[in-house]
Amino acid sequence: MKANATTSSVKSSAEPKPEPEPEAEISPSSPSISALEALSVHLISGLGLGLALLLANNVYSVNLVSHPSLTLLLISVIECPIVILLYSRHRKNREECSYLKAVGRGLLGLPVGALVISLGAIALGAPVGTRYFLTTINWSLLMSLFTIVPAVSVFGSSWKDWQRIFAHTNCRPIGSLDFMICLPAHGAIIGAWLGAWPMPLDWERPWQEWPICVSYGAMAGYLVALVVSFSLILVWARFEHVKRD
Amino acid sequence: MSSLTCAKLTLFSIAGVVIQIIGLSLFVYGFFPVKPALSGISGTESFRVPRCNSVHNESEGDLPPDQLKALYEELSGIHPFDRLILMVIDGLPAEFVLGKDHQPPPKALMKAMPYTQSLLANGVAIGYHAKAAPPTVTMPRLKAMVSGAIGGFLDVAFNFNTQALLDDNLLGQFFSVGWKMVMLGDETWLKLFPRLFMRHDGVSSFFVKDTVQVDHNVSRHLGDELSRDDWHLLILHYLGLDHVGHIGGRNSILMAPKLLEMDELVKMIHTSIIANQDNGQGRTLLAVVSDHGMTDNGNHGGSSYDETDSLALFIGLKNHASEHASYTVNTVYQVDIAPTLALIFGVPIPKNNVGVLISGTFDSFTDEQHLKALELNSWQLFRLLQAQLPGLSCENSPCESFIDDQGPRKSKCNGNLENMICCLYLNAAVLHSSWKSKNVSRSYSRADYSSIVAAYYEFLKTASEWLSRRVTDKPVNLLAFGVAAMLLSCLILSCLIFHVCKEFCFRQKKNFDLVDGMCNWNLDEAFILGVILIVIISMGSSSMVEEEQYIWHFLTSTLDLLLLRKTMQLLPVKKSFRLYEGTKKIGFQVYSIFVLIISGRTLRGWHQGGVNWTHLSDVSKWLEQAGSNNVKLVQLVSCLLIISLCFFTLSVLGSRRKFVLVVGFSFLVFGLLVLQHIMIYQENTIVQSSSTATLMVQIIFAVLGITAIGTFIVLPLVMPISISKKHSSHDSYMSTSDPIEIQNKYPLAELKDSLYVIGWTYICYWCLLQLLLQQPVNAVPILLILVQILASMIYSSYSGLHQKQWVEIAALYYLGMAGHFALGNSNTLATIDVAGAFIGMSSYSTLLSGILMFIITYASPILFLISMVMYISVKDTTHLLISQSADSGYLLKIMLALPCLVPLGVNSILLTAYTIVLLLMRNHLFVWSVFSPKYLYVCATTVCVYIGVSSVALTVIYSYLVLAFRKRMQCSSNTDAR
Repeated sequence: MKANATTSSVKSSAEPKPEPEPEAEISPSSPSISALEALSVHLISGLGLGLALLLANNVYSVNLVSHPSLTLLLISVIECPIVILLYSRHRKNREECSYLKAVGRGLLGLPVGALVISLGAIALGAPVGTRYFLTTINWSLLMSLFTIVPAVSVFGSSWKDWQRIFAHTNCRPIGSLDFMICLPAHGAIIGAWLGAWPMPLDWERPWQEWPICVSYGAMAGYLVALVVSFSLILVWARFEHVKRD
Repeated sequence: MSSLTCAKLTLFSIAGVVIQIIGLSLFVYGFFPVKPALSGISGTESFRVPRCNSVHNESEGDLPPDQLKALYEELSGIHPFDRLILMVIDGLPAEFVLGKDHQPPPKALMKAMPYTQSLLANGVAIGYHAKAAPPTVTMPRLKAMVSGAIGGFLDVAFNFNTQALLDDNLLGQFFSVGWKMVMLGDETWLKLFPRLFMRHDGVSSFFVKDTVQVDHNVSRHLGDELSRDDWHLLILHYLGLDHVGHIGGRNSILMAPKLLEMDELVKMIHTSIIANQDNGQGRTLLAVVSDHGMTDNGNHGGSSYDETDSLALFIGLKNHASEHASYTVNTVYQVDIAPTLALIFGVPIPKNNVGVLISGTFDSFTDEQHLKALELNSWQLFRLLQAQLPGLSCENSPCESFIDDQGPRKSKCNGNLENMICCLYLNAAVLHSSWKSKNVSRSYSRADYSSIVAAYYEFLKTASEWLSRRVTDKPVNLLAFGVAAMLLSCLILSCLIFHVCKEFCFRQKKNFDLVDGMCNWNLDEAFILGVILIVIISMGSSSMVEEEQYIWHFLTSTLDLLLLRKTMQLLPVKKSFRLYEGTKKIGFQVYSIFVLIISGRTLRGWHQGGVNWTHLSDVSKWLEQAGSNNVKLVQLVSCLLIISLCFFTLSVLGSRRKFVLVVGFSFLVFGLLVLQHIMIYQENTIVQSSSTATLMVQIIFAVLGITAIGTFIVLPLVMPISISKKHSSHDSYMSTSDPIEIQNKYPLAELKDSLYVIGWTYICYWCLLQLLLQQPVNAVPILLILVQILASMIYSSYSGLHQKQWVEIAALYYLGMAGHFALGNSNTLATIDVAGAFIGMSSYSTLLSGILMFIITYASPILFLISMVMYISVKDTTHLLISQSADSGYLLKIMLALPCLVPLGVNSILLTAYTIVLLLMRNHLFVWSVFSPKYLYVCATTVCVYIGVSSVALTVIYSYLVLAFRKRMQCSSNTDAR
């Protein structure tokens, strides 16, 4: 999953537009999402994250710098139901897949995604060792919630969709649902990647420790991407509207 | 689409490289200060007026020390002091003792040094702020203090083998007049002056956490030494204060106690000096100096005021207490200490001294002696100026026409430099000589005297400033021209790469109707360029330069993941993708990327390089803790694995062929030799001087050289040439689908086979050589780097059309850089493995050990560069062939253009960018400690790229020519036979 680390939406838009894909192929059974629904999804996941941070800080009086592992776990626990329940509502293939099944595969996707993400992080140089084990796990749970779990909840195991979202095979992600999943995920990963840069510097700040600045980066990237994704959805809806007229 | 011919391309590339070399050498020559040096040692001639063509073949060097001393005293007319105690307090800022900006130091510090402050207050001690020149680290500063010369940076950097100070210096002069010397303290002194000390007790500055014992070890002998009278010079070098600074900074709570300890020592020494003086043991001078200051954090090395503010304190020059004790800012230069001490103790001033006699130190001497001292100093500087300024030489200079009888006059000095210096010198000399004549008649006044002193100082200051600026000043024209040349060559090479890529792309489009967007930009390609950009940006930050290994590891593993993503794009065999049969290819690519990722991560964890995080644990430390037996075991295992990998990869070609057997046999011989050496001799890594071990290594070097060159020359000659309807049935994965006419006309398949073998031979030999030379812990990284090379070869042999050539070549270059840091290198000169450079040396040779050092340090980049030979053989470029337009030049261009141009291009961009960064950072705090060493590494990488690229080009061109010639011969004989 880390493979997508630097996919940037800016770059995609700079490339020449691909051949127009037949729209029927993209979303035969995926429900179209109204702007209002999209807003609610974005707002709730964003607010959930903010709430989790606030809660950790004020109620449990822990924060990322003082107790990175605990805080990450707390954020994950709060975000987990929000993300899974929200995204499962917009699952693809509604006929074949009930809401409960979507929630179930979301729950299953959480640890699997965390495993993949932590392996990717280690490949990129995250420290290995018993001291960092728990922190890495908690961090990758959070990352999994940002990136993999929404995709699992919505698409299940459809390889074609996965490729479209994360590897951009054949066509770019198009449509509000795709934006909603693709952009925040990439935002979180790019944010985390950028967040790792201050780590080797000799500034001697406590937040330069392993997952702290990376988590900050990931959360910042995620929030920015939520905004971008929502505005893209609005633009897309207008575009569709014009086309239909 | 116009296409460059092969010859033109070659010409342009060579032109680009030549321009780059010229630019680089101009820049290096202009940027790094080269020390102005007069060879030899000052003798009696320094007591005579400098004249041109002065032939001094007197044999005063043969005089016995005591006669020499007497001679010096007679010539100078100065009755010198007898004994010197030089107390060096490492890292003590002068501010602590003398205050800053006319203000006394803070109360706490005043209280910490009560005795010293009382000496200063009653005028017994005279203190100066002695401005040190960067780099403010101990060894260069000590050199400056004793030789009076500002060392160049290269002088510091290239002193790997001998640290002894060979230039003319105070201690050498003292030694020649028969002084007995004792040194207690920092062992740097012992490195600088290996045989001069009668007694010594060196302490190491290695244990920075230790602030107590390190000074106790110096002071324990002090009482004993002070009671003896058999020495003339006692050097005490206290490291504790510097260690306090490194731990807690300037305001550390340990600072006041440490200062108090130093003050106690000053008191003890001074009391003993006074006692001895009363006993009639002669006059003793105590000079308390520090080598450099420290920043607020306690660091040093740069050129900020805090770091360069070192102390020079003379106690005992005059014993009478005077009332006027003010905290005036007496700022001198650190180099001034050398001539001052030389004159006080009546020895010749060291030849390359640029310092000036510190004013105020000769107050206890007579006026005559003071003027004499100034005159001696002027003569010495004038000699140095003569060496630097040809215009000052004898013929056209008015300096020689000495005194006319116009009496003392003071002319205005202006005009060009030579005239001005001459004029200033003459002014002083004329005044002095007239004073001398008046002196005889006792008719001089105080005002005369001070005007002479002023005249002398005017000359001395001008000369000294000019001389030291010459060391630190940078010739702007040279630098600008060098940078411009580098920019030009960078532009040429980039344009060539761009042009070739475009041409290939165009060709490819014509051959295959690909809508796949082969010529479009992909994410990984953009990232390859992004890497260059990121590296360039990171060069501007000193912390990033110090920790560069993180950047390369992070970027290469990101690149690996991006490649994985790219391969994942193709994973399902879609109906529209007929061109790539089977998922087998993709499967191999995915596996090789996983191998790359895993081995890259292991390499990253092997050495915790850099500067700031070296204390973190890593695999090599862990292995070394586990004991030498385990290290050796690991080393043996990786050696065996490397040998078996060598065989395995060779056998892919089919083991029935004769030449494969021969090459395999040579691998075996060489591998066994290395293995034996590791088994037997590497046990005692420190003492490697046993002659059998040396002989063994020399044999291995010889075998290596002969077989490598032999393979390169002979293999194309013996490669079987096939002419058939079907192309030769070599290994399965080289899917050569060349048109048969090309196949039969040009030796493509044969060339690929022979390049495969030659390339692999190069790689294996290099790895085995590294096993021999590198430290034992580095055996596994070598193995991993070999595995990485193999994996990338497999990747590129399967990637075919999907991956552009330049991307893969640039990726190989990046892997080489990451491997460079994985072998424990960093951007400081400290990590260079000097011990390895003497393996197999029976006698000392700078050139040979320099080459070995280069081979060890640049193991990984060179390995990846010479793996281009194999890359050329495995990468499928046949899709670029068009049967009509194919000729030898075009074929060579297809194979060779990008593998040679891309490394040159990437390197030239990095080199040029870093040159500009260095120029911008020339006033940065860390220019000498961080940026300049890094620049040396960048230059060495450039050399390494030249070597790698030229050997690749040579190999391919030679093989091609030989095979083409043989093919043509065979073809013609075949047609004749028919």
